Order: sequence, then structure tokens, then C-alpha cells
Amino acid sequence: MLHIPSGIIQDMITHARELAPHECCGILSGENQSVTETYRITNILATMSEQELYRFEGAKLSDLKHLSPEERADIAFQMDAREMAMAQRDIRSKERDLLGFYHSHTFSPARPSQTDITIAMEFESYRKKLNLPEPLHLIVSLEHTKSPDIRAYRIQDSKATEVLIKQIASE
Amino acid sequence: MIKVRIPTPLRPMTGGKNEVEIAGNSVAEIIENLTSVHPGIKERICDEQGEVRRFINIYVNEEDIRFLTGKETPLKDGDEMSIIPAIAGGR
Repeated sequence: MLHIPSGIIQDMITHARELAPHECCGILSGENQSVTETYRITNILATMSEQELYRFEGAKLSDLKHLSPEERADIAFQMDAREMAMAQRDIRSKERDLLGFYHSHTFSPARPSQTDITIAMEFESYRKKLNLPEPLHLIVSLEHTKSPDIRAYRIQDSKATEVLIKQIASE
Repeated sequence: MIKVRIPTPLRPMTGGKNEVEIAGNSVAEIIENLTSVHPGIKERICDEQGEVRRFINIYVNEEDIRFLTGKETPLKDGDEMSIIPAIAGGR
């Protein structure tokens, strides 16, 4: 079970709404499966060149090239690598753990897509060699505008298993 | 020799290999030497200005080269270099 203060849940929903229809993305840190902080990371997909879309090869998103850059960010995200590295360094300096990654689904349910799973497994193959903790993957769905849904998943062996989120009172 | 970890999207350029061994004394040299064996790979890793693309992190052993000396980070025999695209996802 992942414990998240209500203020942080609200922050993720606000982030998703601010960027909609683009997908938002970010990192969660904390300790002992309790989230203490989020890092908003820029979704750089709309500013990536067509040549750079090779990054999604093998992830069943080959139709990206047929969309405009703005439309690409409506259905996918790519974290800015520098911001991700800076967040990881900040987490390390505070002696906390990287607990998870979050992103939004603007028009679809809070379930990992096949692309989400493929790329999570790609990360998983590097993670152990870099001595990073296993992250959870959270999805903020804005499919039902008035009642956003947030769910967390553990992705292992190309399968996503839901991990319950317990909302706790913010300090 | 330096062991270089190749990310999934670049493996078509290394004949499917997820690790290759390349000689070089710095990250920049490894990228150049990698390209002489696997043409075109540098353009995938670096932009037109020669900077590492915005969605890629390069690690030497367990440290991001941004917190070392960037592409000039020196390498010695036995070091491992990992080319890692930042997290992404999509429909």
C-alpha cells in the first residue's frame, strides 16, 4: 500500500488539469512507501523532432509520426532527462527514495497502456544495474472530468498489478 | 575496454545487442568510437550541437555524467557506461 498525503494527491490532479489536453508527468519521493514530495517534470514530447521519435520504437506508438507535435503530447509523454536527473539527485541528497513516477491520461482510464508497460520494463532492465529502488507507476485519469481517478501499479514481468493508495491527511 | 549498455530503442543499430564493448578514454570518445562501429548512433544520442539529447541520460557506473564532467568524464578499463532514455509512456 502506498500512503499519499491528500495535498500531494491534489497537486498531481492540479498538474494534470493544468497541462490537459497534454499528458503531465512527474516523480514521487518519500520513505517506507509514504510519499513526502513530488517533482513536476516537463513533458518534452511536443517539442521533440520527428527524428527523436525513434525513442518510442518498439513501444507500439508508431502512429506518433502521423500526428502533429501538439497531438503527440495528448496521448504520450517523455520526461525531460535533465529534470529527472536533478530530481533524483535532490531525492538522494535528502536521503529519501524515489517511490514512483506519475503521469496523466487525459482521455482514458487510470490503467497502464501497453506502451507504459513496455517502457516501464525498459527502465526495469537498467534499474537494478544502477542500484535504484523499484518504482511504482501512478496514473492520474481525467477521463471523468469532475472525478479524477489516481491509481498506482507495480510493473514486473510485463504485467501491471494495482497497489492500493491510502490517502492520508496532509500535515 | 568499456562496457556500454545500449537502450532498447537503439538496439536495432547494434544488431540487437544490449551491451557492447568499446575502447575510449572519455564519454565523448566512446560515443565517437561507438559510431564508427555502428554508424548513425551518435545522431540518435546527440543533437546537432553535439549535446546529449534532452530525453537521454548517460551514466558512468552509477552516476549521471551531468554530475561528473559531462561528455568529458574520463573512463578507465572496467568502467560501465549506460545510455538511458528518461521515462516515457503513452496510449
